[in-house]
Amino acid sequence: MYLPEYYEFCCRVKMIAGHDALEKIPEALAQLHAGRPLIITDKGVSGAGLVDTVVDAIKDGVDIGAMADDVPQDSSLKVVNHLADVYRDNKCDSIIAVGGGSVMDTAKGVNIVVSENADDLMKFSGAGALKRALRPLIVIPTTSGTGSEVTLVAVVKDHERHLKMAFASYFLLPNVAILDSRMTLTLPPAITASTAMDAMAHAVEAYTGLAKNPMSDANAIAAISLISNNLLNVLKNPSDREGRLALANGATLAGAAFSNSMVGVVHALGHATGSMCGVPHGVCMSILLPYGLEYNMRKNAHFTGELLLPLAGAEVYVSTPKHLRAEGAIAYIRKMNQDIHNATDGRHARFLEEVKDRDGKRMVPREKLEAIAGAALDDGSIFYNPEECDYEDFLMIIRAAWEGAPLDRTLIKGV
Amino acid sequence: MDDFKEITSGNKPFKRAYVAIMLWFVGRAIQAAARVDKNVKGEFKKLPEGFTFCLGVLPKGPYMIVGKNEKGRVKYLGWEPGGRRIDLDMKIKSIEAAILMFTFQESTAIATARDRMIVDGEVPHACAIVRVLDIGEVYLLPKFIARQAVKRYPAWSFGRKYIGRVRIYFRSILGY
Amino acid sequence: MFFPDNYEFYCPVKINSGNRALEHLPVELDALNARKPLIITDREIAKKGLIKKIAGAFKDSGITMGIFDGTPLVPDLKLVRRLMNNYRDTGCDSIIAVGGGAVVDMAKALNVVVSGRPEDLKEVAGEDLIKNPLRPFVFVPTASWTGFETSRFATLGELSFSSHFLMPDLVVIDPRMITSEKANTVVSTAMIALAHCAEAYTCPAKNPMTDTYAYAAMQFVTENLANVIKSGDKKGRLALANAATMAGIAFSNSPRGMVHELGWTAGDISGLPHGICMGILLPYILEYNINSEGHHMSDLLLPIVGPEVYAGTAENLKARRAINFIYDMQHDVHDITRGGIPLTLKDAGISKDALQCIAGATVGDGHTGFNLDDCMVILEHAWEGKPVKGGLQLPVHS
Repeated sequence: MYLPEYYEFCCRVKMIAGHDALEKIPEALAQLHAGRPLIITDKGVSGAGLVDTVVDAIKDGVDIGAMADDVPQDSSLKVVNHLADVYRDNKCDSIIAVGGGSVMDTAKGVNIVVSENADDLMKFSGAGALKRALRPLIVIPTTSGTGSEVTLVAVVKDHERHLKMAFASYFLLPNVAILDSRMTLTLPPAITASTAMDAMAHAVEAYTGLAKNPMSDANAIAAISLISNNLLNVLKNPSDREGRLALANGATLAGAAFSNSMVGVVHALGHATGSMCGVPHGVCMSILLPYGLEYNMRKNAHFTGELLLPLAGAEVYVSTPKHLRAEGAIAYIRKMNQDIHNATDGRHARFLEEVKDRDGKRMVPREKLEAIAGAALDDGSIFYNPEECDYEDFLMIIRAAWEGAPLDRTLIKGV
Repeated sequence: MDDFKEITSGNKPFKRAYVAIMLWFVGRAIQAAARVDKNVKGEFKKLPEGFTFCLGVLPKGPYMIVGKNEKGRVKYLGWEPGGRRIDLDMKIKSIEAAILMFTFQESTAIATARDRMIVDGEVPHACAIVRVLDIGEVYLLPKFIARQAVKRYPAWSFGRKYIGRVRIYFRSILGY
Repeated sequence: MFFPDNYEFYCPVKINSGNRALEHLPVELDALNARKPLIITDREIAKKGLIKKIAGAFKDSGITMGIFDGTPLVPDLKLVRRLMNNYRDTGCDSIIAVGGGAVVDMAKALNVVVSGRPEDLKEVAGEDLIKNPLRPFVFVPTASWTGFETSRFATLGELSFSSHFLMPDLVVIDPRMITSEKANTVVSTAMIALAHCAEAYTCPAKNPMTDTYAYAAMQFVTENLANVIKSGDKKGRLALANAATMAGIAFSNSPRGMVHELGWTAGDISGLPHGICMGILLPYILEYNINSEGHHMSDLLLPIVGPEVYAGTAENLKARRAINFIYDMQHDVHDITRGGIPLTLKDAGISKDALQCIAGATVGDGHTGFNLDDCMVILEHAWEGKPVKGGLQLPVHS
C-alpha cells in the first residue's frame, strides 16, 4: 500500500445510510441540540416528491421551521440572503439541505450568514476566514455523484457585483450526510449513469493523482468497486434499492477521496467543456476519464493498473499480466461507457461529438475545442495532475475525446 | 511542581534568513523573466492591471511581493506585505516546509499536493503564477535539480535556455 | 461487498502524517482557534527527547505552551484535578497528548473537565453521556499504542467513558516521534490494530465505511510488521502508526469483538502487553467463528493476503486460508524474534488456572454477550496451541 512522504486527510461528516435513514434525522438533530430545521431544496427535487418523503419521515420527531424550494440552478447571493431571512423569521435552529450541488452550496452560504450574522458574505470567503462551528447542517443528496455532501467548499455567485465567492473551511462540512435509497430510486437511467461516472472519475483521479494517500486510496477503492459492481444492474433494474444505496455510498466515498486528494486533467478539461458548451458534468467525466488516464500513464501506470482490481474483480486482475493492467483498467472504463450507452438506448454519449442536447443538436462543435483547451489552463485541478498539461496537451486530449479514438500516446511530449 | 512547566517557543533565524534570501531572489527573477521570456510575458499580460502576488511563510514571514503596475510592467515590490492589497496570496505553512521547497526537496506541485500551502485568491491567477514559477525554476536551476522541481522538463532551444539564463541572472542580481 | 440495511459512521479525526508533520501544528491549532496548548506526556517519552522535538516544531510561531511530563502508569482523579488547575491558571486552551495509553486516557479525561462538561467526571462515566464538543485535542503518537488512542473510549481508574467527542480532532504522525522499539511493543501495537480491524471487517455489523479503514489498516500491518521487527524499517514504522490510527477509528464504529475483550482481560490479568494476548487469540477466535451466522470470514483473505491468493482460492476455502495466513504470520513473528513473541498463552506464561479467571472476568461484566463456555474453549485451545475446530484441513500455503 502506498504511503506518501506527507499527507493530510479529514472527513468529519457523520454518515447515516440505509433504506430508512431519513427516520434517524430527528435523533441526529437532537444530538446537535437542534429541533427546528429550515429545509432548503429546489423545484426539481420538491416536484419529484422527494421533500414530501423527507417531511413524512421526520415530521413526528421535529418541528419543521420552514421549507424553501426556490434554490436556482446556479447558487446566488440574493437567494442566500433571502433564505437567511426565512431562517431568522421562522426562528429556525438548523438547516436540512435536500438536493444536489447548488442546493448544498446555497445551504452552506445560508449557514455562514445565519451563524456569523454576516451582512457581507464576502468577508468570510477565502482560506481560514471561518473560525468556529456553524449551525447544524444536515444534507440529503438526491443524486449519487457530486460528493458535495462531504466537501468543505461552497461557491456562491453575486450576480450584481459579478463576483464568484469561494468558501473553504472544515466548518463548512455538513454535520451529517443522510444516504437513503428512497432519494435516488426514481432517478432516470441516463442521469443515474452520468452521476455515477462523475463519482467514478472523482475516485479514479484521487487514486491516480499527486495528492493520493492511504485514506483517500481506501475510500477511492471502495467507491470504484461499489460503482463498478452496481451501476449496470441499477440501470437494468432501476428499482433495485440495494444497488441504489450502494451507488449513493460509492458517491460519498468518492467525495471523501477527492475532497482530500483532489482531481486532475479529466476535471480540468471537464470543467472547461461544461462551462463552454453546457455539457452536464457527469457526461464530460465519463467521456474524458479514459483519456486522462491514458495521458498520465507515463507517470502513474502502476497506480492506474491497481484500479483493475476494484473495477473488474480479483479474477480478471490476477489473470492480466502486471504490465497490461493499466491498459486493462482503461479498457474496462471504456467498456463501461459502451455498456451504459447500450443500456440507456444510446442516450449516454461515448465521445464528445456524440453529445446532443434535448433537441438533438450537437453540443460540442469541433471549432470550440481550442477554446476548451485554453479554458482548461485556468483550472486548479491541473496542480494535482501527475503529468504537465499545456495548451497543446489539452488540445490533443480533447480532440481525441471528441472523435472517440484512443489517445495516440506516442504524441505525448517528453515520451 | 517540577513536572509542569511553561516554555516559549524559540526562533529559527538562520532558516528564516535563508528563505528570505531565496524569496528575494525569486521575486527579482520573476521581474527579470517578465522582461526576457515570452511565455512569462504572456502570462502576466493576461493578469489584471495592478495585480499583486505575495509568496511567504506562516506565521510571520519572510515574504516577497511581485506586482504588475498600470503600465503593465512587472516589478518586485519588496518583502513587506503590510497594508498592501494582495490579489493572490500563497502562504507556506511553516518555515520547515519552506526549507523543503527552497532546497528543492519538494516541488511547487508536490508541496501543494502535500497541503504545505494555503492559497488565497482566484484560481486562474494561481495557475498562471505557478506556470511562471516553473519557468523561473528552469532558468535558474541546473537541469538535474530543475527536473525534480517541474513535472516535465521543457525542450527549449539553446538560445532560450542559456542566453535567457544569463540575462535573467544578470538582471536579477542588478535588479532591473 | 456486504451492505447492511442501515448503518452509521462517524470520524471527526483529521490525520496529518509524514515528514515535518509536527511543523504544521501551529497552523492546525490556529484553525482550531487555539493559541496555547498544554502538552501531556510521561517521563519516558520526555527522556527520549521527543518533547524537545515538539517544542522545536513551534519555533518561530511565538506560541507559549504548558508541558506536563509526569503522567503515571495509572493516572487518577486527583491528578486530573491538579492539571485542570494548571491548565486554567496558565491560560491554556487546548491539549496535545504525546504518547499512547495512559497519557491519552488522562488527556481525554482532562479535556472533559477543562471544557466544563462537566467538572465532575463521575457524572459522564458511561455510554454517550458527554453531550457537547470539548476543547481542541491533538494526539501525537509514538510507537507504543493500546488501540484506544484514536477511539471514542477513555478510562480513568474505575471510570470508563465512551463518546465520539473524545476522539482527537487531529492526529499528527511524525516519523521523528515513531522511534524504533523492542519487538514486544511493535508486535503488541500492530496486533491490536490487526485484531480490531479483522473483527470490524468480519462482524455482522460491518459497513462500507469501517471496511474502508479496516482494509487499509490490515494491509499496512501485514505488509510491514515483519520488516519493522527485523530491521526497524522507518517507513514501515510510519505505516504501522497509520494502521493503528485507522484501527482506532474502525474500532469506534464497530461493536467490540471477542478478540478485543478476551485479549484485553488476559492482558490485565497476566500483566502481558494487551496486543500480545490479542495477537495470540486472534486466529483461534476467527476460527471459532468461521461458520457463525452473519460473519464475513472469507472477505478477510483479500486485504491480508492480496488478490493473487484471493483469486486463486475457492470460495469455500477463503476463510480457512485467511486464518491460516494469520497462524503463519504468528510463526514468522515468533521465528524472527527467536521465540521472543509467544505463540500460545502457555508460552506467554499464563497458568492454566488463570484461564477460568480470564473467561469469568470477560463474561462477568455482562455487556459483552459472550458465554463462559465459548470463552473457555477458545482460551484452552489458545493456551495449548491447538486449533479450535480440529484444525484447518487445508494445504498450508507457503
